[in-house]
Amino acid sequence: MTDAVSEEEKFLEFLYAAPVGLVEIDASGTIAMINPYAMKHLLPLAGERDAGNLFAMLENCAPELRNLFDGFEQARGTVCDGHRIIAELRRNPDESEPKVLACTLVKLGANRAIFSISDITVQVAQEHRLKQAEVWFSSLLNDINDYAVASITSDGVVDAVNASWTTQTGYPRDALIGQAVADIFRRSVGDGNPGMVQQLRLAARDGWHLDEMWHVRKDGSRYWCQRLLAVRAGSDGELTGYTLVLRDIEPQRYSTDDVRRLLTQDHLTGAANRANFQRRFQREQKAWREHGMPLSLIMLDIDHFKGVNDTYGHSAGDLVLVRFAETIVKAIRPTDLLARLGGEEFAVLLPATDLSEATKIAERLRCLAADMRVETPQGDLSITVSLGCAMAMPDRDILSAADEALYAAKRNGRDRVHAVGGAAVAA
Amino acid sequence: MDPAVIASTFETVTVAELWTMQARARDDLPFGVVGIDEAGITIIYNETEARMAGLNPSQVMGSRFFDEIAQCMNNFMVAQRFEDEPELDATIPYVLTLRMRPTRVRMRLLASRAAPLRFILIER
Repeated sequence: MTDAVSEEEKFLEFLYAAPVGLVEIDASGTIAMINPYAMKHLLPLAGERDAGNLFAMLENCAPELRNLFDGFEQARGTVCDGHRIIAELRRNPDESEPKVLACTLVKLGANRAIFSISDITVQVAQEHRLKQAEVWFSSLLNDINDYAVASITSDGVVDAVNASWTTQTGYPRDALIGQAVADIFRRSVGDGNPGMVQQLRLAARDGWHLDEMWHVRKDGSRYWCQRLLAVRAGSDGELTGYTLVLRDIEPQRYSTDDVRRLLTQDHLTGAANRANFQRRFQREQKAWREHGMPLSLIMLDIDHFKGVNDTYGHSAGDLVLVRFAETIVKAIRPTDLLARLGGEEFAVLLPATDLSEATKIAERLRCLAADMRVETPQGDLSITVSLGCAMAMPDRDILSAADEALYAAKRNGRDRVHAVGGAAVAA
Repeated sequence: MDPAVIASTFETVTVAELWTMQARARDDLPFGVVGIDEAGITIIYNETEARMAGLNPSQVMGSRFFDEIAQCMNNFMVAQRFEDEPELDATIPYVLTLRMRPTRVRMRLLASRAAPLRFILIER
């Protein structure tokens, strides 16, 4: 062999080292060419699915990509540009932020497309913080009386509050001074937010921390609250205490936050995405372990969904998923969480709920799904759903227990509820 | 030829054998051999691997392997394992992008505290 470097070798070196992922596929998603950067990010998402097919590798975290491509009618053109994929790997749910990938898909002909992918996790985290800061600082221009302010020592004890605090929360000043701030803001069941202890830790690390959540007033009523915790530091940079500011805002403002929505919602159905589900699930499990509050989980899987896609087409399949999610969301309680885990598989997390109540709820959801009619060009279609229920127990993993129950429901003929630790409820 | 070399198969070859083997003998092995140091610099890149990847070994030597040559291994499934496990001998199925084609391979990851290099063996 010779040491002279050929043009082909130079070209390969260029593609091997490129810090962006490139993939060429045919109309079915089968990969013709792929560079190492793309494989680095896609292979960990593939699981047991075919690593030779782009859509198969992305089926769990971006099932919409195949639909976008199938629904793209022009002969050539950009199918999506900078489309975000939240790549949550079950391997480590404790990691604070999920990986976010941006992808672009360009159709080059009837049976050829090129796909690019890059990792934008860091940019998205920065964007999120900037967006929060923007909302916060622009709101500072509004009526200053809206702000309840407390001073907190470095040990986390309240040493001063302003008059607005009593107006906003109903608690008199004397009831707060000398209290540990973590005791004042005990997290309530199902609020799905970081507790005050965690917020103190994050603020100490980053200089400040901003979050939004429901707060309960002294009279029991609740309001949507923006909560800013800012660190006070001495001249030598040492932490001397915190300033805590609460603000009563309209929850609607929160839900229009696009960045937040991208990070927490499933693109198609608007249900919580896997990443969001994982976070809530971790928190609720912690609450269950620490406070013994019951926690139940329902796994839902639409029966014969592949048949729907094959018979009525992917867009009808998508419509079924959307209508199904709408039906479930309307039927569950505000503290419950519906998440789409991938494909036609959903989960409902039920804090403060025992198995018999969860089973009743599951049976109601089963009936609602069976009553649904989805209009398609080929006529109305109806679906059935199988459901598996489980309750958190010290000696078993609730997720796999609910999965097992779901498979039992499938095995026993579908369109039914099965609860682990209880008898099957007949359909 | 040294009988020890003939006996070296993908499954059985050791870090010590790979490290002490003549370069010619390493080139003759039927599987790809990559040796990287603790900083991830490519020190060994045998002829078999060069042929599969379509690269010239002289260009690969001295490169940061997981950044310039094999980014597809730069994740928790491969590169991170060398960081986490000083004693490592694991065989895993993997998909590489040799000449930009998705290629199913078997990989054996080898590391030992006693050896200065970490090895990746690749069998198509």
